[in-house]
Amino acid sequence: MAKSPKIRTRERDTIIQALAAGVVPRIGLQHIQVGRAAELNALVRDIDRIADDGSAVRFIIGEYGAGKTFFSNLVRLIALEKKLVTAHADLAPDRRLYATGGEARTLYSEAVKNLSTRTNPDGGALQNILERFVTECVRQGEAQQQPIETVIDKRLASLRDHVGGYDFATVVKAYWRGSETGDDVLKAGALRWLRGEFSTKTEARQAVGVRTIIDDASIYDGLKLLSEFVTLAGYSGLLVVFDEMVNLYKLQSAQARKQNYEQILRILNDVLQGNVGGIGFLFGGTPEFLMDPRRGLYSYEALQSRLSENAFAVDGLVDMTGPIMRLQNLTPEELYVLLRNLRHVYSGGNEEAYLVPDEALEAFMAHCNERVGEAYFRTPRNTIKAFIHMLAVLEQNPRIEWRMLLGGTEIIPDVEEDVADDNVLDGDDELTSITL
Amino acid sequence: MITYWTAMMSLPPSPSNTFDRLHPEIQRWIWEKKWQALRDIQHRAIAAILDGEGDVLISASTASGKTEAAFLPILTTIKNEHAPGLSVLCVSPLKALINDQFQRLDLLCERLEIPVVRWHGDAPQAAKQRTIEQPRGVAIITPESIEALFVRKPAAARKLFGSLRFVVVDELHAFLQGPRGLHLSSLLTRISDINPTRPRRIGLSATIGDLSAAAQWMNWRHPEDVLVLDSSAEKRELQLQIRGYEEPPPAASAAEMNLDEDKHSAIARIAQHMFERLRGENNLVFGGRRVDVEVLSDRLRQLSEDAAVPNEFFAHHGSISKELREGLEARLRKGDLPTTAVATSTLELGIDLGSVKSVAQYGAPRSISSLKQRLGRSGRREGSPSILRIYASERFVRKGDDPVDQLRLEIVRAIAAVRLLLRDKLETRAVDRSTATVVLHQTLSVIAERGGERADKLYRAICGAGPLSSFSTEDYARLLRHMAHPDVKLIEQAPDGAVMLGELGEKIVDSRTFYAIFPTDEEWRLIHKGEVLGTIPLSNIISVGSLILFTGRRWRVVSVDDSGKVLDVSPHKSARLPKFESAFSETVSDEFCRRNARRIKRNR
Repeated sequence: MAKSPKIRTRERDTIIQALAAGVVPRIGLQHIQVGRAAELNALVRDIDRIADDGSAVRFIIGEYGAGKTFFSNLVRLIALEKKLVTAHADLAPDRRLYATGGEARTLYSEAVKNLSTRTNPDGGALQNILERFVTECVRQGEAQQQPIETVIDKRLASLRDHVGGYDFATVVKAYWRGSETGDDVLKAGALRWLRGEFSTKTEARQAVGVRTIIDDASIYDGLKLLSEFVTLAGYSGLLVVFDEMVNLYKLQSAQARKQNYEQILRILNDVLQGNVGGIGFLFGGTPEFLMDPRRGLYSYEALQSRLSENAFAVDGLVDMTGPIMRLQNLTPEELYVLLRNLRHVYSGGNEEAYLVPDEALEAFMAHCNERVGEAYFRTPRNTIKAFIHMLAVLEQNPRIEWRMLLGGTEIIPDVEEDVADDNVLDGDDELTSITL
Repeated sequence: MITYWTAMMSLPPSPSNTFDRLHPEIQRWIWEKKWQALRDIQHRAIAAILDGEGDVLISASTASGKTEAAFLPILTTIKNEHAPGLSVLCVSPLKALINDQFQRLDLLCERLEIPVVRWHGDAPQAAKQRTIEQPRGVAIITPESIEALFVRKPAAARKLFGSLRFVVVDELHAFLQGPRGLHLSSLLTRISDINPTRPRRIGLSATIGDLSAAAQWMNWRHPEDVLVLDSSAEKRELQLQIRGYEEPPPAASAAEMNLDEDKHSAIARIAQHMFERLRGENNLVFGGRRVDVEVLSDRLRQLSEDAAVPNEFFAHHGSISKELREGLEARLRKGDLPTTAVATSTLELGIDLGSVKSVAQYGAPRSISSLKQRLGRSGRREGSPSILRIYASERFVRKGDDPVDQLRLEIVRAIAAVRLLLRDKLETRAVDRSTATVVLHQTLSVIAERGGERADKLYRAICGAGPLSSFSTEDYARLLRHMAHPDVKLIEQAPDGAVMLGELGEKIVDSRTFYAIFPTDEEWRLIHKGEVLGTIPLSNIISVGSLILFTGRRWRVVSVDDSGKVLDVSPHKSARLPKFESAFSETVSDEFCRRNARRIKRNR
């Protein structure tokens, strides 16, 4: 990846802060991304296809800490650059694709709350998208000397072909009427409806005058309508990113898992058959989510046949056209480049200000290898964290030499966050580390 | 605590005072009901609940106004609270009791504008749904419905049970023993865990022998913090007798025991003595095993028939059908016909019996707390003593027998038991035999509630407090390993260590029968004229014409239904003892054994 000579301070600080805390930065990812070029190219093609009124679906599969979230964030940022709207949400026990107790609606709400555009990359873009749509309609109405309502109706006409589209259009119109008449309650009601925050139809009817709501059974339809609408508002399409799909694998009822996998099958069928346009899905999950024969996606016959990987793509050969994308581990060379990138970002892009020489990078990697073994290639998170911490100390204590620090750098193998947390009962060691 | 209340009792009661402290609307309700006065137990409960902060155990006989004793002050306390979430959870063992209680509370609560909902499988759905949406007030619920909420609607459970002030356990004595009590105890622990502060527990118990077990059940770590309100807590006189009977010189083999002959055997003479002393009053006779109970009650019935008087002696043990057992319990409670129940430990806890004249124990006691429990049933009436007779049968001793064979071990044990009882040295926290069963059940339940959980957190949620904490981490690890075994398939593990339901575990949790822990062992069912008498283990070899001694009566098998496991029986002259469980169900504590050994050494 080409290095821009200068990195803005705000960008640099955000990146360093996030990495030091072990989380994925929201911006500036291009400065540190290494490797996975083939994967990225495939996703860029996907994004282009979505913008071209096509569709795409990808399952990003990788071990815990392999960089799934980093990768999907990067893709999301690229999508924003390409004028797509993105919606992302993590699945959780109370956020699923299908449910009967409001868990699916919660996932939808979360995704819509996180709706992002290039100007609102941090989520919360729903209102801006609506405003943009309304403004555009008003401008067109004035230019063509037509009543605004007629313009809006014309524009929203295509929505009405979809399931639930009529009410969706009614709500968008309600938003316009609210802003027209200064009725903030109506506007807020419309926003709440679009975010899936109404849990009963009665509430929805009182607030915005429609008889349906986006509920557990209709979140996929809701997302399709949303993608159609953002296209009408002038964006290129919608990219939906659902991470932590392993939560479906963890559902404790065979039936609940099956119902959720049926939703995935619906999406997969629509995309692969070209029934939908302007929408793409990115699912992030661990290998067991995909492969486990009893509770993973493969436990669902219809999905296994559609998702089975290209039998020829083995031993380092890759096929980036299938929906499954396995994140390969970083090679030592790539890790080296990653550390170089980090050093570069840390100095704000100024090569003169590098805190450590190249030789230090090699020594650092050797040190990691000794401490953790080859596992650190697979899960770069803690390696990055330790490296950033080392740079921070060097920066603030200029008299210290990097060699002195290296011996004291602790790198622990990456484990699920809450293992190390809170008070563990005495004598519980057997249970904390139990393998069944 | 008890002494404090005893002292209070000797003062003239101050009815107007406690009455005035109730909510004005409740006072009006009491006026309209035309109550003459509050009962003593109600005065004490009102003061205890309004003044204190801790748990309160209210023990009084049936129909003495326990429910009102608890709810008048509770409703007064929560009347002015408007926090979302239920304020009071009242757990009751039976749907019928819930419906009854609902009727008693509904009118009063309506006036107070406190919603009250009944919550069990057959209760109206709409009210439950409304409560889930806007939880407030009081819910009366079965343990199984709590379980169902945790497993099926964990989010609703957290919303409903997350801001409780009081947990009322009705018929607490019914939960002191067995898996259902442990189950409820675990559920209450889980409820406490989702509350910022532990809700106060109010226990309502029938009069049972010794309330310390009930206090322990309510507050496992600090039973001494439970304020016990007992209507009969004063010290009683104890009359005690240990009677030893020596077997006659051995003649026939003991296995083929002839039920009619051997008038001189120890058990025949014991039965004779019981027959003479116990007739005409209500009494309890405890035998260690079901076999003992059957033999004794058979002999006592025989003696009644020989003397041409109505039989007053009836058998009571776990194999006898629920209907027959409950009939006997009701007869004891009513007390209009003299009745003596010959029972195993089934009659010890968990059953409302009223009080009896005397308690007899066949064979030396095996547990001191059981003995105290049993003894506590007698002498409840003012001025009457507690009476305990221990009957011990000892083997025939010849001169020149080995010294070890000459020891009267039963008598030694009886003496040791009495000494420990007098010093109040009860066994500490006997582990209930169903502990592992309940731990397993709750493991599946917590996994379902939380959607997979790490082993150490499972352990903390289930065994962190309460009676299940007797289950060690090592045992728990072994249990989990067994549950995860490829042949068992109850649980499995995700790569990140989370324990999840396995193939079979999912099936079990998905089924509606999962909410209840009840034993479902397959056994022969004995039926006479359409009435179920009870069950005997399948290990009994049965054919048409087989003779069975059961419920203290003698039966002949008329027909055998092999697939339905039903035996049709009719009365018969002679009978043979069926096989029940092999060993003693009660365990003997280490302390008790040490005491026995010391006694033997000293007498040598």
